[in-house]
Amino acid sequence: MSLIIDVQQASKHYGDKAALQNLTFSLEQGAPVALVGPNGAGKTTLFSLLCGYIQPSSGDIRILGHRPGSPALFGRLSALPQDAQFDPKFAIAKQINFYARLQGMSHKMAKYDTHRVLDMVGLADVANSQPNALSHGMRKRAAIAQAFLGSPEIVMLDEATAGLDPIHAREIRTIVAEHASSVNFILSSHDLTELERLCDQVLYLDKGQLTQHQAQDNKASVRYITLRMKQHHPELISTMLQISGVNQVSMSQDREYLLVISNEQGKGAIEAELIILLAQKNWPYAQITNGKTLENQLF
Amino acid sequence: MRLFYTKRGLLALLAFATIWFIILYYFVGSASAIVTSPTFENMASQLFGALGLSALLEWPVAEYAIYWLVAVYFFPSFALLVCSEQFCSDKQRGTLRFITLRSTRAELLLGRYLGQLLIMAILIMITSLATTVLASTRDIALLSASVQIGAKLTLTLLIVVMPFIALMSLLNTLVNSARLAIVYATLIFALGPLAIGIINAQFGHSLYLNFLIPGEQISSILSQKSLVISQYLLPFIQTSLLLLLSHFMLKRASL
Repeated sequence: MSLIIDVQQASKHYGDKAALQNLTFSLEQGAPVALVGPNGAGKTTLFSLLCGYIQPSSGDIRILGHRPGSPALFGRLSALPQDAQFDPKFAIAKQINFYARLQGMSHKMAKYDTHRVLDMVGLADVANSQPNALSHGMRKRAAIAQAFLGSPEIVMLDEATAGLDPIHAREIRTIVAEHASSVNFILSSHDLTELERLCDQVLYLDKGQLTQHQAQDNKASVRYITLRMKQHHPELISTMLQISGVNQVSMSQDREYLLVISNEQGKGAIEAELIILLAQKNWPYAQITNGKTLENQLF
Repeated sequence: MRLFYTKRGLLALLAFATIWFIILYYFVGSASAIVTSPTFENMASQLFGALGLSALLEWPVAEYAIYWLVAVYFFPSFALLVCSEQFCSDKQRGTLRFITLRSTRAELLLGRYLGQLLIMAILIMITSLATTVLASTRDIALLSASVQIGAKLTLTLLIVVMPFIALMSLLNTLVNSARLAIVYATLIFALGPLAIGIINAQFGHSLYLNFLIPGEQISSILSQKSLVISQYLLPFIQTSLLLLLSHFMLKRASL
């Protein structure tokens, strides 16, 4: 496993306000990494630092062994920057083609690749439209398209699916999942279910500080099942505790329960027992998840 | 690109073409008449003499004397307008975030500068060629002299506009719109000499701060008699300094 991002004691101050404080973490090649945190936590600042748009007030950042913004990273690191817009005066395809040329592609290759990425995000039909003629979601997809030009090693997507309709948000998730084996993704999003589906590793930023940096832990002596019910049943907790191996049951949210399972007990059989019990009681469930939801892990 | 592909750019070109049609048709085209007719000759030589420009009257192609006088003031001002939008709106819009993942900020700065310089070169060349055509249609014998003097003036004008474009590059690093860049440029040219005058008066002697302002050499090169050094060196130094400063500013800028 090689190190793709290495951040040492990086801080960013705006005046006397600290946007990021002494951030230290490193990311290795592999599955997508989620960057999570409330509004104003410093996610976009971290993205901007990694992309070289802003300089850290102190500390050191290395991406693939180079400083952010270094020419050695051109074509290797790409990003969907938040709030970045295309020039309204030129067609989308023309601008993406220009970026491909900047990355060093030949005229023919740039044309081919522009068509490929636009087709990937479902914008091939409107390739020759100007950005103003497109909807917000379409412009966003065009901006995502430019991040896939060539064969980048790291792709950072800042709120990629925010503002997209469910169908296209799903398409973007599919694209990320399809490319995840060859590309190192760093994704930020407020949609935790989305990140949960795509990412193994989570960076949790709050008030400019990295408070968690862990892979989802499924190897401990206990494991979890998250059960979401369609209706509220007052005696559900006591009933669940009757299943052998279920050590603890708590209600994590309205109609959502977290079951703590002792790992030594009969593995998959608990889920089977759980479903049978629910059927017997005639309690319809909405979802059974193996493990904690990302939301429950973080908050 | 924007100048030739966008509505705003084409409008600017149309305005440019109209102004130059008027200048060439009414002033340059009738230059020989003004300069050579006996009634005007006396007045013209007096006027040009008063401005220290009597050397221009000795030029073999009268059209170019008028062309030079107009162009040497027109092109720098036009450069301020046309080159006001180099990358400030891209910066404002965030488009530079897409670009800087694929090109260094220095490349961006120099590329945009050279692009603007190329556009100015093309425009200067077109007007100079038109003047050659005007002169040669009056007297075909003037063709070779016209081409010679036209080429020299094109190069001189290009060197004159260089620091003006570089000043707009610097302003582009500071502001977020072309309009604001023009406002700042206007303030620099309006208040700059005033501020320098006050500073000089404070210190009791000249600090040569006036050399900081692009176009400082224009009044001294007007007669086209001055030394080559002052004609070419100052704009080159100003351009280099302005571009270096722009690079420094853009490198530190948050995109």
